[in-house]
Amino acid sequence: MSAFDQRRVPRILALLVALAVLAACTGETTDTTTGGTEGPTETEAPGETSPPGEPTTTAAASGEIVNPGLYVHAADDEPLSVDPAQVAAGEAGETVIAQVYERLVEIGPGGPDLIPSLSSEVPSVDNGLISEDGLTYTFPIREGVVFHDGSELTADVVKYNWDRVLTMNLPEGNSSVLADLVASTAVDGNNFVVTLNDRNAAFLNSVVTAAVASIASQEAIEANGGVQEGVVNEFMTANMVGTGPYTLEAWNRGENMQLSIFEDYWGEPAALDARIDQVADSDVRALGLQAGDYDSIETDPTFIGDLEGAEGVEIYSGDFLLEPVHMGMNMNIPEGSLPPEDTIPVDFFHDVNVRRGFNLAFDYQAFVDGAMAGLGAPIPHYLPQGMLGYDESLPTFERDLAAAEAAFTEAGYWDDGFTMTVIAEEGGIFEIAGLVLADSMAELNPAFQIRVLAVVETQFDEAHAQDPLQYAAWIKNADPFADPAALFDAYIHPDGEWGSVHGFANAYADPDLIASLVDEAAVELDQDRRVEIYQELTGLLYEDPVWLIPGNERALMAHRSWVQNFAMNPLWPRPSIKFAYFDKG
Amino acid sequence: MQIRDYVIRRLMIFPLIIVGTSIIVFALSRVGGNPIAIYIEHEMSAEEVAELEDRYGLNDPLPVQYLAWAGGVLTGDMGWSAVSAQPVTEALFDRIGASLELAIFAAIIAILMGIGLGTFGGARRDRLPDHVTRVVSISGASMPIFWFAILLLILFWVNLGWFSTGRSDPTIFATIAHPTGIYTLDALLAGNFTAFADAIHYLVLPSLTLAFGATAIIARMMRSSLVEELNEDYVDAARAKGLPERLVLRRHARRNALIPTVTVIGLGFGFLLQGTVVVEIIYRWPGIGRWMADAVLRGDQATIMAYVLFTSILFLFVNLVVDVMYAYLDRRVVLGA
Repeated sequence: MSAFDQRRVPRILALLVALAVLAACTGETTDTTTGGTEGPTETEAPGETSPPGEPTTTAAASGEIVNPGLYVHAADDEPLSVDPAQVAAGEAGETVIAQVYERLVEIGPGGPDLIPSLSSEVPSVDNGLISEDGLTYTFPIREGVVFHDGSELTADVVKYNWDRVLTMNLPEGNSSVLADLVASTAVDGNNFVVTLNDRNAAFLNSVVTAAVASIASQEAIEANGGVQEGVVNEFMTANMVGTGPYTLEAWNRGENMQLSIFEDYWGEPAALDARIDQVADSDVRALGLQAGDYDSIETDPTFIGDLEGAEGVEIYSGDFLLEPVHMGMNMNIPEGSLPPEDTIPVDFFHDVNVRRGFNLAFDYQAFVDGAMAGLGAPIPHYLPQGMLGYDESLPTFERDLAAAEAAFTEAGYWDDGFTMTVIAEEGGIFEIAGLVLADSMAELNPAFQIRVLAVVETQFDEAHAQDPLQYAAWIKNADPFADPAALFDAYIHPDGEWGSVHGFANAYADPDLIASLVDEAAVELDQDRRVEIYQELTGLLYEDPVWLIPGNERALMAHRSWVQNFAMNPLWPRPSIKFAYFDKG
Repeated sequence: MQIRDYVIRRLMIFPLIIVGTSIIVFALSRVGGNPIAIYIEHEMSAEEVAELEDRYGLNDPLPVQYLAWAGGVLTGDMGWSAVSAQPVTEALFDRIGASLELAIFAAIIAILMGIGLGTFGGARRDRLPDHVTRVVSISGASMPIFWFAILLLILFWVNLGWFSTGRSDPTIFATIAHPTGIYTLDALLAGNFTAFADAIHYLVLPSLTLAFGATAIIARMMRSSLVEELNEDYVDAARAKGLPERLVLRRHARRNALIPTVTVIGLGFGFLLQGTVVVEIIYRWPGIGRWMADAVLRGDQATIMAYVLFTSILFLFVNLVVDVMYAYLDRRVVLGA
């Protein structure tokens, strides 16, 4: 290359870059047209935009609707799978499953009431669809429902889906909620019939409405790998063929998932197309909301302050979530397993005075005001707000340092103190709960040392899944349950999921009594009697606690004020919203 | 040794290095946490965890596990990327295109700005332009990249509405095929100017952010090299021959000052290619840096192993290219000596 050429290359490159940047700047793609209230038939394709060269600046600030016809939600992570048979409870895949797939019955927008969905009626004893013995449920399958691939919904397809989950039985999924209860499935004409092993009051609310019970196209599954025991179906991991108001149009990994209105939907069609953007950084989510590019964002209470008062932004704070923050107390600690800094004995939490001492020492107000930005509350021990049987007059732990001192004195730890490690996920309210606990205990007695071991989520999950647990205490929110039967079975029953891991039998003054009450309530179909049992249990657990519950959050989301009909239901999978109910105007 | 022979000799030893690297990568994956950590949920029972371990062959002896993985790599099957819910090979292809595109644009900006600023300052040593250049360089090197990125977003996204985050407008993106995974190139191949302008539009902020730090490093290196060269005897000789200062600078001093700068640029480009985690996270750029960050945070070992192996191979080639460029620019350098 000649010297002449060499001199000009950088200039030419610079010129090209400048021209390209200039062209790009004038080719702004944010839609700035005034939307107004548009009916479903007038909606535009996902992300439809103005042609390059249209006016560019701050449509949101001027009150114009950005992206009319499209609802954009900014999520904080991306699904690992969208296969109902593979998605774990609380995993991001549930967000999309809730929009694209449907179940036999659904939890309605207004609260815990069930509404018909793919079953044309909600079974009850009164309408004869639940047998007198409470073991057989009959679901009349709605006619005229088609899947996104055009195939028809029948009772056989529903049975195929339930059997598929049970056959695949993937450990990372949530198949156990079906496997634990379902004795058999059958088809009777166009009815789907389920027989249970035992009566279960939570079957409809906790099992039939769960993501794992979603119904997918049998034709699509069979054409793409079918069903094999213990084997993941990679097609279903990344594709969705349901009956819901949305179809999964595209999944651009690391960027977004695009949902389109399903034109042949059997029910009320959605008004807006939808897009779920993956936005890992919370500051960027907040900026995007202010810019108007996002209609709602995954909202953490810790950055409410940044958004309050922002133009065109509203903070929705609704009912309480059903997943209160828990501090687990391990009563099943293996000898020699605790971190070397810990000075507590392995039977530390066997003593009810220690457990009560922790519950009486914790600074609940500081936690709710700080970590939850005031949008939370302690719960009665042990029924969260919104749960069947909840009553605000039920006994609730409050901070009482004198009572806490008495409890620890009785337990024999007051003079010598102790050091204990509590493990929690880093960077969120769980770590903050640990720090509040550490401060609370140090304030009660400087000889009470709490070490907060904050680790990334995968490390926490791995430590948390061990049996026996290698830590004395951990902090995490409870799995969300729509009905107290499942909640009490997992978190209170001495032989339940946590009861067996934590060794509740080593703790309760009368484990048999607790077990019999939990079992009785689980099969009791008389709701008034169930409430009585759960309230009796709540009284017992206040005297003999096996958890420390720092607080319960309200459903919380920041959204643009142009979103109409915005509502959250804590019983829906996170983020507890369904796009099909929303409009913009 | 001729450049061609040198390149062939280096390429011949690459397989050995890659095998060694793969063994190290595999070994690290087995000591750096549970290889199936991403699939483990806190509510899983010990039996369910054991089932997963069995599914992924973790009960086999380590050499068997290594051979199974290495065999897969050789046939293009690097496992399943859980964080992107697709095969690792497919995910790697998708992501590397995004990172390559960003790295190239950032590199072009950084090279032009860095060499320009370095030359401008070095040629005016200790005068006002030099001080200004140094201030720009120091601020570029010292300003936290996430803060700079957020500032740009506040200004250009929230207040002016000129730019957004992400890689493209989804509807425009869907209008063209993506054979290369490099959006600008795909748009040119499709002859679609709207898509090309869209791709450039979304590249502006992340590439400027990424280039800012690299510009500072290149400018500082260029300036100090140029100052050194301008003190050399051959520069005095050129001046004594009556060459205008402009030509002395461009034809003599700057060419020689570029030699160490090229090394910095070459290695710097390698780092840019790996994807800058912070830039990719903040701008929602679906490149391999963000992919890797997700994988590390969520314990996706198949993705981590593929990424480390890929970047190891990448650096082998980057180093080779830098060595060859070095010899090309400075005839005194003897390759393979």
